[in-house]
Amino acid sequence: MIKLSASIVETDLELARAVLKRDRKASAEFVQLYSDPVYRYIKFRMQPRIEPVEDLVQEVFLTAWKSLGKYQGTSPLRVWILGIARHKVQDYYRQVLRNMPFPEDAEDLKANDVPMESLLNQRQAEGWIAEILARLPEDDRTALLWRYWEKRSAEEIGTEIGRTAKAVERLLARAREKFKMEWQRKEAGQ
Amino acid sequence: MMDEKWFEEIAQLEDESTTLAPSCLKSRLYSRLIEEQELDGPLASLKDTVAAGRGLCVFEKLIEILPAQANIQSFQYCTVCHARVAGERIENAPIYWANCPYCEFQNR
Repeated sequence: MIKLSASIVETDLELARAVLKRDRKASAEFVQLYSDPVYRYIKFRMQPRIEPVEDLVQEVFLTAWKSLGKYQGTSPLRVWILGIARHKVQDYYRQVLRNMPFPEDAEDLKANDVPMESLLNQRQAEGWIAEILARLPEDDRTALLWRYWEKRSAEEIGTEIGRTAKAVERLLARAREKFKMEWQRKEAGQ
Repeated sequence: MMDEKWFEEIAQLEDESTTLAPSCLKSRLYSRLIEEQELDGPLASLKDTVAAGRGLCVFEKLIEILPAQANIQSFQYCTVCHARVAGERIENAPIYWANCPYCEFQNR
């Protein structure tokens, strides 16, 4: 277990206590310190959608305010609030995937054998990711974001949405193939 | 699995980004948070804020030195300040005075 420095814990606890006392300037400091990491975290996990981002960031801060009394300084405040953000993102993913039909075996795409590891050397990678995710259907995109951005296993995702790990794997396989096909299209300049 | 590794690396690229939240969003978040806090009770007085070592803006300082009752000290003066209006609506709003949260939220 990582031992936290006493000064980080004390500073974070002091800020949390001041916010709980409804000190307006402490609350401003709380927003100033954590809005960037929370926004960044949610933005990349919602992409390319921008509409839910602001609402989710706001929900995170309001939930944090309601739960701040339970914060005991066992982790930095930044980690604690990102934990709330993580729950909000997963609630959103769960809602999306629960309402989507899942692919059957017969619908699986043929595996794409083109080697992909060299592609990350290209500087345009970051811009391409958002563009390609925007072209994918919402269920494929959500599956990829949940699995790779949120680092959750197919089993964990399956448990959250009431599906088998195998069904989630099939969805992921389809999503990966579509993503790769789009990537290769971009590489070919199409 | 090659695919797995490739997708993990792609996700990692974005986690290292330095994207900032828009200043308008920070301003609206702060206003909303204060509204929510006021539902649970009065804000800490301006005197308590100063005692805790936090600075006041020029308008709050004027109120703080008045021999005013606690409810006057607890009022959120930002709700009637043009800095809030500008901060919530204009990205990098031209507001520039010390100890104003809406000024501090600007990504300058």
